[in-house]
Amino acid sequence: MAHNVYLPKLAKIISIKEEVAGPRAVKTFRVSFVNGDIFAYRCGQCAMLSVFGKGEAMISISSPPSIKDYLQFSILKMGRVTSALHELDEGDIIGVRGPYGNGFPVEDWKGKNIFFIGGGIGLAPIWSVLQTTLGQKKDYGELTLLYGARTSKDIVFNEELKELKTKMPVHLSIDCSEQGWPEFVGFVAANVLDKKLSPQNAIAITCGPPIMIKTVIKSLKDLHFEDEQIFTTVENKMKCGIGKCGRCNIGLHYVCKDGPVYSWAELKQLPQEY
Amino acid sequence: MTKIEEIKATAKKLLEEGKVKYIIGYEQGTNGWLSNPVFIKKPEDVERFVWDPSCVHNLAKFLVDEKRRKSREKQPDKRPVGVIVKGCDSRAVIVLLQEKFINREDVFLLGVSCEQGGVVDDKKLAKKLGKKNAKKIELGDKDNLIITTEEGKLEFPTTELLAERCLECKANVPLIFDVLVGDKTQRPQDKPFKSLEEIEKLSPEERWNFWREQIEKCVRCYACRSACPMCYCDECVVDSINLAVAPDTSAEEKALKIRWLDKSTEKSENFVYHLVRAIHLAGRCIDCGECERVCPLDIPLRLLNKKLEKEAKLLYDYEVGCDVNQPSLVSSFKDTDPEDFIR
Amino acid sequence: MDKILAKKDFPQWLKKLVGSHTVYAPLPEGDIWNYKVVSDSADVNLDFLTTTVPPKGIIFPQREVFLEFQTSSGEKDETIEVKEVLPEDRPVAVFGVRPCDGKSFFLQDKVFGGDFEDPYYWKRRNLTTLVGLACSTPPSPNCFCTSVGGSPHSKEGLDILLTDLGDHYFVESLTPKGDKLIGEAKTLFPQAKPKDKKEAAGIHAEAAKKLSRQIKNLDKVPDKLKGMFDSPFWDEEAMSCLRCGICTYLCPTCHCFDLNDEVASSSPLKGKRVRTWDTCQFPDYSMHSSGHNPRPNKASRLRQRMYHKFRYFVDIHKNYQCTGCGRCVSLCPVGIDIIKVLEKVRDYGS
Repeated sequence: MAHNVYLPKLAKIISIKEEVAGPRAVKTFRVSFVNGDIFAYRCGQCAMLSVFGKGEAMISISSPPSIKDYLQFSILKMGRVTSALHELDEGDIIGVRGPYGNGFPVEDWKGKNIFFIGGGIGLAPIWSVLQTTLGQKKDYGELTLLYGARTSKDIVFNEELKELKTKMPVHLSIDCSEQGWPEFVGFVAANVLDKKLSPQNAIAITCGPPIMIKTVIKSLKDLHFEDEQIFTTVENKMKCGIGKCGRCNIGLHYVCKDGPVYSWAELKQLPQEY
Repeated sequence: MTKIEEIKATAKKLLEEGKVKYIIGYEQGTNGWLSNPVFIKKPEDVERFVWDPSCVHNLAKFLVDEKRRKSREKQPDKRPVGVIVKGCDSRAVIVLLQEKFINREDVFLLGVSCEQGGVVDDKKLAKKLGKKNAKKIELGDKDNLIITTEEGKLEFPTTELLAERCLECKANVPLIFDVLVGDKTQRPQDKPFKSLEEIEKLSPEERWNFWREQIEKCVRCYACRSACPMCYCDECVVDSINLAVAPDTSAEEKALKIRWLDKSTEKSENFVYHLVRAIHLAGRCIDCGECERVCPLDIPLRLLNKKLEKEAKLLYDYEVGCDVNQPSLVSSFKDTDPEDFIR
Repeated sequence: MDKILAKKDFPQWLKKLVGSHTVYAPLPEGDIWNYKVVSDSADVNLDFLTTTVPPKGIIFPQREVFLEFQTSSGEKDETIEVKEVLPEDRPVAVFGVRPCDGKSFFLQDKVFGGDFEDPYYWKRRNLTTLVGLACSTPPSPNCFCTSVGGSPHSKEGLDILLTDLGDHYFVESLTPKGDKLIGEAKTLFPQAKPKDKKEAAGIHAEAAKKLSRQIKNLDKVPDKLKGMFDSPFWDEEAMSCLRCGICTYLCPTCHCFDLNDEVASSSPLKGKRVRTWDTCQFPDYSMHSSGHNPRPNKASRLRQRMYHKFRYFVDIHKNYQCTGCGRCVSLCPVGIDIIKVLEKVRDYGS
């Protein structure tokens, strides 16, 4: 019989980085499989991480597929399983199964300008597609990142963002003003309008808290982006990850299998219950 | 005027005068059950109401729903909800009032007393009818019931079809009401707690085997909990997720919530669920029998709760759901309460 | 080749199987019937109407252990040992499967197969031979199999179909598994005569006419549902719903489940990952960790059930996800009647 889809592969945590401390803690984990190589996957796909004894959580893979040594996950401490993940140390064993989901259609975007618009932890799902397109820069048009967080302490990937600024335009923002903050102050959606993103030959990808996605999409529509040009990821409660337990069902889709990446045109077709 | 005509007339007047938001009553069911709960908002719809011995449901449960619905609305309609209550249902409303879960001005009670002193137990009826199906229940004049099936009419003495709990019923006439519709009918009461006699004769080991066999059948559909008006907790001990989670609930709080039992239908988990539920209902259960009626696997849940009702009476001389001014059993004490467990 | 089995020989067939198979048959439990493991074949006769719990519980059990895990000290340092726990290898035979329940397996196969095959479901499915029993009269006053593309003698999902001809059964083997099961007691099965076949066909034809409930023009419903998502219709219908799990747990085609880790000891860690039935009707089913609940009220959950069965499943798999067994109608504590709801949907707005 083929490999049991419910059986996770054992993976060892090789590094943990604390991105954000406090009540909305975010940690970035890098894991490598105990036996064998990491699986092949596309940007935007996710994996089910198991903390044995606590449960599983579906987390998007934030490292690009070009990296073969490890899988990177940035995890916000939210509930049971994510709290348990935050308690783990380097060297601890977790289970990983995947990859699941549909991934970003990067081949369709060749030659276009791409705007990556992230908020809070939403930078993690975008990171893999951002790094992949950056790695193949000549195949794509202009790449731009707009990223915002509640406060400067909630910004993730600080080191990586510093390095990224040398390679492409990066516009940061925080919700409320802080002393010494040099960039935009306001919600990410306002930053989108402020930077007057052009829909000409462009794709916009946005990930973050639901309210941010709603307002960003509205801003993009105000700037005359078409529904087919806007992409986002949908979150829903998931248990099996393979479209069988029914939990993440929205309309004709199971978000774990047919999503989580949707264009705004596709999302509008689904019943609005997510 | 027959009771049903009086019910319809009273209901129509209340709705026309706008005194209540809507009235919860019974209407004719489809093939599944003979009568079902119905929510009537418009005066002309009162024609849908029915009243006969198949009106089994405890409509007080929907008062819990109404409270939840109101708490979600920004500008709720503050008028009371009208509800048709039988004797047993009125005791459920009393318990909800004692526990201050609802306010007296939130409900308008149309009390009705059961003709022939009770409602029909559908499982007893099915046994009598064999493979035939009941279409209608009517009252006969000789303390009997006339059942219409697809093959004609059959008659049975009322006592053979009434639910066990009706034979022990102390509250034929509703104990609390705003309007009493129809005549007060009474039935001589059987010995109180008679349904416990059989099981109390068994030795503890026999009782354990009996319950083990029964509890093994449970599929944890939670219909018993859902049908019980007194099971109104948003955060129930059996749910693995705390329903009262808000965006600002910390991750620690969510992570530390204890899973008291697993979702598995292992014997141990099933036992914990049923026994904890029974204890949580001690001194609160008024024996409406809904838990047993709705159970698809025919587990005799009434016996568990009835036993605790008997204990409440023996130990504390407490009658559940009788006097709205009396405090609830578990939140009060008297100096005469037994203290032999204190050493 | 069609065969005959005398009713008096039926226990003999079971007796031959009990040693090598786990045999399930409907047995009385108080006033209701349920599939139970047969130890004494003499107890079994197929004189029942319908079971409360559908046979899906045999192939997709209420509780199933997927994996076991425990900490173990490896050569270097502590690691976790994870072992899958597949169903045992013993073949299973289920007798007395009504055609509606047989069709439910045909539909469940689509769910548990597809891109990712569920190994636990398929191991059980492949080891199980389903012996159906055609309905001569409707087993329930709420049967409506013909309205959803089924029939009292449908063969979908079954391996053998028995038709009651009075003192003997007309036996049709439908798959190699069916052939094998009959082969275990070859001598009990004489060849069927043309008159037997004709009699069986007659019973089948008559049975379809006896259904007391039907939904005409059900095919209008999937399209009608497209425009009804935000309608207040669902609030009205769901007013009396108690949010229990009866309709979904006892539905032969419902398949939602939950995966949980059950820990026997935390340190050293030892536990199991367990699958249990779940239902979209429980309020916490779709609740996110953040507290956001996409389906916060009963109306949205009832709507989800209707849409999933009569629109989404139809679009993806070209079948209604309902076999018309009528259990949800007979057992809903407040009488929410799926047939009536579908009729109202069909006539909505006209």
